[in-house]
Amino acid sequence: MKSDLVRVLDGNIFVLSEHNGDIEATVANPCGFFDFDTRFLCRWQLRLNGERLTPLSVAERDHVTLRFFLVPGAPTHYVDATSSVIRERAITGGAFEERLTVLNHDREPVEFTVRLDVASDFAPILSVSEERTPPGRLYRRVEDGGLRLGYRRDRFQRETLITSSEPAQIDEHGLTYTVRLAPKQSWTTTLRVQGLALRPDGQDVREHLDRPPRRSAAERRHDLAAWLDRAPTLSCDWSALTTTYRRSLVDLAALRYSPLTLPEDVMPAAGLPWSATITGRDSILTSFEALPVAPELALATLRMLGIDQGAVLDDFRDEEPGKILHEFRYGEMVAFEERPESPYYGSADATPLYVVLLDEYERWTGDTDLVRQFEDEARAALDWIDEYGDILGDGYVRYRRRNERTGVRNQGWKDTPEAICHADGRLPGPPLATCELQGYAYDAKRRGARLAREFWGDPAYAGRLDREAAALRERFDRDFWLADRGYYALALDGDGRQVDGLASNMGHLLWSGIVPESRAARVVEQLMDPRLFSGWGVRTFAEGQDRYNPLGYHLGAVWPFDNALIAWGLRRYGFAEEAGRIAEAVVDAAAYFDGQLPEAFAGYPRELTHYPVRYPTANSPQALATGAPFLLLRALLGLEPAGEHLLMSPRVPARFGRVELLDVPGRWGRIDVISSGLGQPDR
Amino acid sequence: MSDPIEAFFARLARDAPQRLLRRTVGTIRFELDGPGGVEVWHVSIADGRVAVSRTGEAADTVIRTDREFFGRMARGEAKPLTAWLRNDLTAEGRFRFVVLLERLFPPPPGARHPRSVGAAPGEPG
Repeated sequence: MKSDLVRVLDGNIFVLSEHNGDIEATVANPCGFFDFDTRFLCRWQLRLNGERLTPLSVAERDHVTLRFFLVPGAPTHYVDATSSVIRERAITGGAFEERLTVLNHDREPVEFTVRLDVASDFAPILSVSEERTPPGRLYRRVEDGGLRLGYRRDRFQRETLITSSEPAQIDEHGLTYTVRLAPKQSWTTTLRVQGLALRPDGQDVREHLDRPPRRSAAERRHDLAAWLDRAPTLSCDWSALTTTYRRSLVDLAALRYSPLTLPEDVMPAAGLPWSATITGRDSILTSFEALPVAPELALATLRMLGIDQGAVLDDFRDEEPGKILHEFRYGEMVAFEERPESPYYGSADATPLYVVLLDEYERWTGDTDLVRQFEDEARAALDWIDEYGDILGDGYVRYRRRNERTGVRNQGWKDTPEAICHADGRLPGPPLATCELQGYAYDAKRRGARLAREFWGDPAYAGRLDREAAALRERFDRDFWLADRGYYALALDGDGRQVDGLASNMGHLLWSGIVPESRAARVVEQLMDPRLFSGWGVRTFAEGQDRYNPLGYHLGAVWPFDNALIAWGLRRYGFAEEAGRIAEAVVDAAAYFDGQLPEAFAGYPRELTHYPVRYPTANSPQALATGAPFLLLRALLGLEPAGEHLLMSPRVPARFGRVELLDVPGRWGRIDVISSGLGQPDR
Repeated sequence: MSDPIEAFFARLARDAPQRLLRRTVGTIRFELDGPGGVEVWHVSIADGRVAVSRTGEAADTVIRTDREFFGRMARGEAKPLTAWLRNDLTAEGRFRFVVLLERLFPPPPGARHPRSVGAAPGEPG
């Protein structure tokens, strides 16, 4: 997928186009106007007197509005243009609006033919990069003042309605304006495109659900300003950090998504534009990362995922009681059960991580009502670990899809089919117990025990969870430690054999606290060894192993969020200097992307490229990467809530100089964290 | 009681699904189209219990479908959420009760416990 398309968006409504504003979607270039997981426009092409337009410049200020300044013709023919066009677009009130202005710079009056070609294929978002023949029927209808494109399959119906503020000649393939402009005059029309998910009575299904009206572009711009104003203020001598922090806040604002189920709440979506939807793992981890700056995201995530918590056994959706969902979608393939995202539950980490987030949220905010209210959900999640996660009954959380056709094979964050492998490249047999899942389960039990003791009035349950956690920690160290290699096995396979790939997963174990103190130094040595540490961060998979590839998504690339969790884990175990090295490397890399951290960069050694090579991925911003700088800051400043206080113990590398994070919100109200920037001795 | 829809609601009132959270409070009105006109069922949920009546009282969410399709959901053969996406049922009001329907209707028949699949040999990875 191309990643240089320009876009405007509001949650799961977005427009992706070329730099001249045109849309001509193909499988290789899946642009368009999307809403409700459906493409409502696959063509949107402007011509002035039969000529395509060339961009002089594109103004992309935020995610709300976009302006294109265009001239007719190809740049090679370029002589002083006597006309130009401005396209200004936004998502406003839930619709795509484009203001089109034609300017006559000539000294003579000119007659212009403005033509807009329009089409829709109503492709479900899950299939835009594949060839697909729609099973239903497409139709087009010219109406008084507008053009209606439609798609119907049984009772399922989607329509695109295009209207214009100025009169146009409308045919089934587009709109034509004939405009006569005096010298130095201009003409403007506003086009409005609505995506409709219709019921049999011709009304939009969403109009019948209780929710606040969709916000206008102006309201959203105002909201962004208020959001930035509310967030803690960062100042730092190293501008790379402040730029990255600011950019992450802007991107996190754009990632906020209000689900139909909780229309007044905002939770982080996993990525824009392709993952603007409810997800489990990504929403939980992003909310965790963002706790020091925007704890309200965690609240919405916990509420939303609680409502959708699994309740039954369902093979198609890989659902089990108590399980936290993986992904939710509204498109046609989901409607007709060609795909399982209604919702799909195929991830083994989201459920223990849900309990981790619930506990951490309370530590930061003191919102005890919520942990009392969510006792049932948390207990169901904790029960899931033992009853359904422990597939072989040997005390380890494992995964194995029951939906073998459209389900996900690897159900941790490294979810590509070959991500979990031996050092020599062999792929282990299912069901796999990856190491980080055991860490999450351990942490969930420990935190569950605290919640049971302090808020649920159930010390017996707390005692049981603590004992189970202690037993898991002991068992884990015995079964996963590779004594001859000096690191933890990446996983146990279905026969209980160790999978010896050396990978970043081990770093999450420090975050979870399952590693005995006596082993920590050895684990840290491995993480910081050049085989794993590239100079820009810890690679997903260590160099020198059979499947290592610097461009391997989960087999060599460096992921900022992975590094943020690892840095926080290092800090927990007292390795402040190593945490600082990782934070410095990632912030250094961010500076090459104007502060917007990509999902991943290539795993080349830093000395080789001197530049962090961006991994070609579709989503930008991606929520996990957007949240990473907040957790890295937490690791640098050593922020840990304790009772009613925020403990702080800054250990910041000299490169950063002075760091001040002012007005950090939490149960303490607002508090300032200041690191003097004076060099501190190591550990 | 021979009518399967009456039997479904009677079972719901007698024996609320364990899957219902104690905290869930809300009302749903079902309007079912059939040969004899529109049949109305009103379901009220509180404290993990379900009360059922035939009144047309206001509700947080109103679900409309036909008797035949409702019967499929009552047997666990069709899932309410995808049915809403396909317009096999329509919903008005609060969407969270459309999601909640999953907890009122039976699970799909024949689903397996992960442990019953777990140890069989299978695809690597």
